[in-house]
Amino acid sequence: MSIEVENLTKKFDNKKVLDNISFSVKDGETLGVVGFSGSGKSTLLKIISKLTEADSGNIKTTENSDIAMTFQYSALFDFLDVYHNIAFPLLERREFKGKYSKNELKEIVAQKLKIVGLQGIENKFPSELSGGMQKRVGFARAIVTNPKIILYDEPTAGLDPVSSTLIEDYINQLKKELNASCIVVTHQMSTITRACDNVILLYEGKIVFKGSIKEFLEGNNPYTRQFITASIEGPMEIKSTT
Amino acid sequence: MINVKDTLVYKGLYYLKTETVGFLETLGNIGYDFARVLFYILRLRINFKAVIEQSSRFAVDSLPITLTIVGMTSIIISMQISPELAKQGAENYIGMLSALVMIRELAAIMSGFAIISMIGSSFASELASMSVSEQMSAMKVLRVNPVEYLVVPRFLSGVIMMPLVFIVSSFVGLLCAGYVAKWTADLSLLNYVDSIWRGLYVRDIMIALLKSAFFGGTIALISCSSGYNTKGGAKEVGEATTRAVVWSFLAIAVWDYIFAAMFYL
Repeated sequence: MSIEVENLTKKFDNKKVLDNISFSVKDGETLGVVGFSGSGKSTLLKIISKLTEADSGNIKTTENSDIAMTFQYSALFDFLDVYHNIAFPLLERREFKGKYSKNELKEIVAQKLKIVGLQGIENKFPSELSGGMQKRVGFARAIVTNPKIILYDEPTAGLDPVSSTLIEDYINQLKKELNASCIVVTHQMSTITRACDNVILLYEGKIVFKGSIKEFLEGNNPYTRQFITASIEGPMEIKSTT
Repeated sequence: MINVKDTLVYKGLYYLKTETVGFLETLGNIGYDFARVLFYILRLRINFKAVIEQSSRFAVDSLPITLTIVGMTSIIISMQISPELAKQGAENYIGMLSALVMIRELAAIMSGFAIISMIGSSFASELASMSVSEQMSAMKVLRVNPVEYLVVPRFLSGVIMMPLVFIVSSFVGLLCAGYVAKWTADLSLLNYVDSIWRGLYVRDIMIALLKSAFFGGTIALISCSSGYNTKGGAKEVGEATTRAVVWSFLAIAVWDYIFAAMFYL
């Protein structure tokens, strides 16, 4: 078991953003996390990546698992070129400092860029790249330490359909190459269907559906039906705050 | 019936409460960030390459504006005092007075103000932009501590480079004042330099250097803390920059008072 989340609860200003959430993701499996805006999806990723602490509950991961995360707007360091962005953890993390020679680093960066289909852009700065390219560089940076857990926050948001397909392919490819457990937070149906093995649907901080992609698409759960058909009518009330 | 929340008293008290909470929060953040910076420095977790990069930025980038401000101020002061002292037959005191004003006060405080506007604001907006664009979060997920990587080098660059900026700006300031004295009071440069050494002590220079180091560290710390703790969007980046500038100005004024009271009272 690579990630096991047990009874996770998180409140902001007395409002439960996550309410007793439990699920698990195996090695080599991708879990899609879907739900309306404000349903707690990003908070869940922040807790798993240790950016935020949960009020209660546990997260168990395989021992010494490195957790990688890609961000909705890539979050590339704009003062560094692509090479230094990707090599950043190997250059700056205490346990890696001085471990790799310059040539080894160049090789690692080139290899990671090749995986995401972006060779020869080491000297470019993030501002010189398109949104899709930035996301792929973000992927390359995330996998540079060969993590066993990869979290994707809205990986295809704001991209054209072709770029989205490309990103979804890379999510699948990275999962296979690293045999990693992946969690993908998304609103895009194409990302759910093409990149995820299982899905959980969050509503008001609670899991209202948990199952395989087939069950998600073909089942009769009223919540998933409403989500898939993008209907205003249904058990999930759309609030003005979402 | 009057709604209490619409009354001027309520609004006034609410504003006071918000401002007090904001003030205490900023003070707390600065204190906490300073403790973390000290922790990394004491454990020698210092990225020397980054310190050199930031130091070059701190000194080189700020120097033109610093020298212009200090130079112009010293010219103006010399234009005001030199003819007056010459009229009183006290032209031999021009150098002494310029040196006291320049070394004890003006060079450090004017350099501080220039550096706040040039470097402090840039530190704050840079770190605030990184915070709101999730670059800080990315750094944390990559298990690189942003305080160690971003704040410590900037703090050290402030402490190290501000005294150097002070030395250069003092020299330029005194030189400018000397030329003005030569033109307005017919005082030779030799007499001017001689007059400087009659009133200036090594102790003054040492205190000014120490004060400059405090100014530099304070500006860097406040600016970085203000940027680092920013949440939100473009509006908050602007607010963080303004907060950094205002707090740095206030802190410089407070440090200046403390140094004057400690060493010259």
